[in-house]
Amino acid sequence: MADLRPILLVEDNPRDLELTLAALAKCQLANEIVVARDGAEALDYLNGRNAYADRQPGDPAVVLLDLKLPKVDGLEVLEQVKTNPVQRQIPVVMLTSSREERDLLRSYELGVNAFVVKPVDFNAFFEAIQDLGMFWAILNEPPPRGNGHG
Amino acid sequence: MNDVTTDPTIDLDACAAEPIRIPGGIQPHGALMVVDPVTLEVLQASSNLPDVTGLVGGLPEALAAELRDWAASDSPAFMRTMAVGARNLQVSAHRTAQGLIVEFEEPPASGVEARDMLYLRLRQFLEAVGEVDDIPAIAAIAVREVRALTGFDRVLLYSFDAEGVGTVLAENGNEVLPSYLNLRFPAADIPAQARELYKLSRLRLIPDANYEPAPIEPPLSPLDGRPLDLSFAALRSVSPVHLEYMRNMGTGSSMSISILVEGELWGLISGHSRDPRRVDAQVRTACDVLGQILSLQIEAREQAVRTADRLALKNVEAELVAKLSTALNYQTGLGDNAELWKQLARAEGAAVVTEEGVLSVGSAPPEDQIRRIAERLSEMDVTELAIESMAQRWPETEAFAERASGLLAVSISQIHSNWLMWFRPEVIRTVEWAGEPQKQRELGDRLHPRKSFQLWKEQVRLRATPWGQVDVESARSFRSSIQNFVLRRAEERAELTNRLVEINKELESFSYSISHDLRAPFRHVVGFAELLNDRAGERLDPTSRHYLQSITDAALSAGQLVDDLLNFSQLGRAGLKFSRVDVSKLVAEVRRSMEPELEGREIEWRVGALPSAWADPAMIRQVLQNLLHNALKYSAGRNPAIVTIEGEDLSDSTSYTVSDNGVGFDPAYAHKLFGVFQRLHRSEEFEGTGIGLALVKRVIDRHGGTITAHGVVDGGASFTFTLPKRLRAEHPE
Repeated sequence: MADLRPILLVEDNPRDLELTLAALAKCQLANEIVVARDGAEALDYLNGRNAYADRQPGDPAVVLLDLKLPKVDGLEVLEQVKTNPVQRQIPVVMLTSSREERDLLRSYELGVNAFVVKPVDFNAFFEAIQDLGMFWAILNEPPPRGNGHG
Repeated sequence: MNDVTTDPTIDLDACAAEPIRIPGGIQPHGALMVVDPVTLEVLQASSNLPDVTGLVGGLPEALAAELRDWAASDSPAFMRTMAVGARNLQVSAHRTAQGLIVEFEEPPASGVEARDMLYLRLRQFLEAVGEVDDIPAIAAIAVREVRALTGFDRVLLYSFDAEGVGTVLAENGNEVLPSYLNLRFPAADIPAQARELYKLSRLRLIPDANYEPAPIEPPLSPLDGRPLDLSFAALRSVSPVHLEYMRNMGTGSSMSISILVEGELWGLISGHSRDPRRVDAQVRTACDVLGQILSLQIEAREQAVRTADRLALKNVEAELVAKLSTALNYQTGLGDNAELWKQLARAEGAAVVTEEGVLSVGSAPPEDQIRRIAERLSEMDVTELAIESMAQRWPETEAFAERASGLLAVSISQIHSNWLMWFRPEVIRTVEWAGEPQKQRELGDRLHPRKSFQLWKEQVRLRATPWGQVDVESARSFRSSIQNFVLRRAEERAELTNRLVEINKELESFSYSISHDLRAPFRHVVGFAELLNDRAGERLDPTSRHYLQSITDAALSAGQLVDDLLNFSQLGRAGLKFSRVDVSKLVAEVRRSMEPELEGREIEWRVGALPSAWADPAMIRQVLQNLLHNALKYSAGRNPAIVTIEGEDLSDSTSYTVSDNGVGFDPAYAHKLFGVFQRLHRSEEFEGTGIGLALVKRVIDRHGGTITAHGVVDGGASFTFTLPKRLRAEHPE
């Protein structure tokens, strides 16, 4: 089994954050969960700068990204990740309250890996997070890097 | 642009052919010589010069000296009473390109006394015309004064209309000659060339209609080799045709004075005597001055009348424009203010022709004829037209001439054939002619003027009162108002459209933020309630667990409500993607998707043959989902529940009916079924947000279809919707 790389959760709403963390906890994933509270912080983490200048190198296993975020919003973070040749293979899952078609279309245009409309029903949300967590955090092997890993 | 509808004129323009300015001779009551302007050498002379003046050879020294002084001055004309050789003569001179023309006549009867008398008369004339207002009254004073000055048997004042027809406005006479008051003289009586000359040279005298002209010798000017131009010579010999005209009229002598108004020949004062009559140069000058005073007076009064008319019409226009500004569109505004609209051009009827149709008020032609007139105007490629007889131009319009003969039309669009029109009805008039004009027309020999001046009455038909310049100007000005109005409305519409686009954007961002922000709290409520249940559920007493469940249920249904509402509002905005929809297949799919909810229920499906539809498949799926969902929901208590789905292929639509054997509804409330949040059942009986049928109706409306509901309490419900068939031309596959 590959090294368990962290999950980057980008969420500004404290209640959503707590619920999502609870759902992830229920999945009993061993991955570390890194929380960023806005788009700028997320990009800092991804690029290892500012507050994250000293973090251990390596990309997260998956980014769970809220669409509406302060400073730099979710779509913009997604765009930066997916247009960055080094980061583009990082799986990004969009989490959103929105059922708006244009958000969905825009996300897919930008190369999102999955798009989850947060359901009102907590159990449904839990299931969605669990599926995602399992798939991206555990099963989904990162593509081999030039210098290899592990 | 007043369209002058002149008859194919009877012009006796013998004139056109006749050299009235270069007759080659003079009237023999005086004599004429032409002298070189520098050397004063005699270049030409009338054959009667020695008889009249006693001069043979050159100019007497005294006259030569005076002429030389005058020729060097800038005084326009020379006039003296002086001794010429042995005789006392009236000498006048004017400059021409062919030399100085010097004319000799017998002097006025008595010198200074007569002159004082003339000034007195002129002053009296001025005072008299100052006291009257209307033109006929001024004309009456003028003819009285001219007769007193000249002693003619009869003095007439004619005015000419646009076509040159003269009408006798005033007359003063001693009854030796017949009265012509109010009679008309055809335009041809004064040929065009003569009219031109009358504008240049204001006074003509023919003391004896039976004169023999005295020829000019030599006939051609030594200076330019051409016949001598006598345009400005008082003694100019007139056309033999004119002399014959005078003799036919029974007059032996005549004098006429031009009345020029704004540079045009407005009319003539013309004096006649049965016998020959001389009018000396001083009296002629006095008459000329009188004519000029009269011209100015007429001009002033005509302008006053025109200004008053113009002002009145401007007021009408201002009032109408004010009314239009509050109207829905200018056509409606015009129709609602028909009186003002007609008054604007002093008409009896009016119409407006646009792409939207024809609107007419008052005495106007039938609608199809108005349309036809607009077509003709467009074919003519004009932007305005004012005619008093449409029948003369377009004979078939005679059918409605009684209602509308005169037409004043202005175009109000550069792109379309849009016209504003005014109509005036036929005015049948009896016109009294001095002689029958038609007879003149039939005269074979054009060099013979008419012989009859007998009163002849004519009925003028198919003609309206002519449009005045003020009417045309008023119509023109109103055209700009209408064009401005149309422009302003277009701007307002554009502004409204912008505002709508803005509002739509706001609405969209509103619903966008609702979809994000309003759902979140419900999600949180449900989430935390579940977490609490996970952690403490086992420790809670049943009542507390019930409360917790209620919190979750309430938040879930509120979340569902938000989702439904958003779905509903998105339906109004999303574009329809039409295609051929296999409705049978769609029904099967929807049924399959519902199967999990229906476990344990006994349901009898009765699905008939369903025609395919031309629709947006995703939206029709929503319709079927909602209708089937309702059918199953309200038949929940039946065993078995029967759901029937039938279709019908109609000529221009397809129709589908979903019915059930459920609880039905009270038909009295059928109209409330399709409103948002309208529910006919208590929520604990049947759950739902009250949006489903509103959504169904919206989808069907957007497809251009219809939906109806039938129900009986406890007797089931049925919903029928129709979808229009595809219009081949609009949606090519």
